[in-house]
Amino acid sequence: MGSFIRKWWRLLAAIVLISGAVHFFVRPPAALSRADAVHASGSLLFRPVYATLDRIHEGVSSFWYRYIALVGVSRENDRLRREVAALREKLQENREALLENRRLKGLLRFSETAEKKTIGARVVGREISPWFQTVFIDAGADSGVEAGMAVVTPAGGIGRVHKTYRGLAEVLLVTDGRFAADVIVERSRVRAIAEGMGGTLCRLKYVSPTQDVVAGDRILFSGFDGSMPKGVLLGTVVSAERPREGLFQKIQVQCAANLLAAEEVLVVLSRPSIPFRPGKS
Amino acid sequence: MLLAASYAGVAASVWWLSGYVPWFLLPDVPFLAIVYAGLFLGGPAGFLAAIPPAVFREVTVSAPSWTFFLSSMALFFVSREIALRLFVRAEYYILTVVVGLLLTESLSIVILMLLSGSRPFSLLWGAEEAVRIAWTGLLAVPLYMDLSSRWLRVKE
Repeated sequence: MGSFIRKWWRLLAAIVLISGAVHFFVRPPAALSRADAVHASGSLLFRPVYATLDRIHEGVSSFWYRYIALVGVSRENDRLRREVAALREKLQENREALLENRRLKGLLRFSETAEKKTIGARVVGREISPWFQTVFIDAGADSGVEAGMAVVTPAGGIGRVHKTYRGLAEVLLVTDGRFAADVIVERSRVRAIAEGMGGTLCRLKYVSPTQDVVAGDRILFSGFDGSMPKGVLLGTVVSAERPREGLFQKIQVQCAANLLAAEEVLVVLSRPSIPFRPGKS
Repeated sequence: MLLAASYAGVAASVWWLSGYVPWFLLPDVPFLAIVYAGLFLGGPAGFLAAIPPAVFREVTVSAPSWTFFLSSMALFFVSREIALRLFVRAEYYILTVVVGLLLTESLSIVILMLLSGSRPFSLLWGAEEAVRIAWTGLLAVPLYMDLSSRWLRVKE
């Protein structure tokens, strides 16, 4: 027995380590996730790299937009002045419509949606592993960012904060296989669960074949699960198949936000209304 | 050398190139560093050399906490065992070992994710992953030749 262990101790060590890794993958211990000193110091090691690259990127963009792109700006200025005059007239009309809208809302006792506090952040890195889809943003725990907070752009939802460090946070994209959120079809108000399926796609789960979902429908986050803000766009249905056998439709959604090209994002700083459990963090 | 290569590889891939180059064209440099530590560095030196790349992988891969660190250290011990039992100093051997280990790691994670209910994989993903494995494997050969020549110069 002793000689067997002496001969094969490396393989035995590998088996023990792999068993530990599989165990942590299936049941991540909360205590280990909380005591993340190694992760925090590990992320600090790369801080000079992404901070420098971000500054270089910003400097190049600034030089381009302030100097190179100014060629022909006077012609553009004249055109824009004319557009501004036209838009001012439109704005006046819209103000009237807005005031009327407000009066009607009050009449119907609709409450205004409370503005949520957000913080802007820049995307400084992307995960390169083939199995998971995350991005790194330059706002972390020191800026009030916490796990579970929603990350959005004007074009649509990006994902949810997964882990936070000092000055850095990892965002689980909506296309990651571990992402799931309650959504609603804008046109028919059908509810479903959206789940990431890699690339730029999500799938809608638990939609009965009798429910009305067709290609081209816009999918919004419902906000019912408390994880993503209500009304934020997830994407557009690209295919909805009703299988002959099976209880649910097979629906694929193309994400509205360009996840790979996103450079700046907004983190919604309000905590999820349902306590967020990091789970496999 | 391994530490510098793995740090530079992660820094360039995750924080710089990932915005412009598709993921399947970015080689897993810390993975190679751990395999080389197992194949060429014995004893405590190899073990210590494998720890930083394992930490880099742990920090930059969004898997559940500590899974990538533990599996990377397991990778070191498996590489060490291969080096001691089946060692052949040849390019095709390095290529086979690296591709075999990358394939094993990828398949294990895919199976674990499928068992846990997430299915973000498709045929296109499989093709892209094959490109990543082949590309990392191909990169392993010149890296091996470079390390071998450096090692010979040090010995001389």
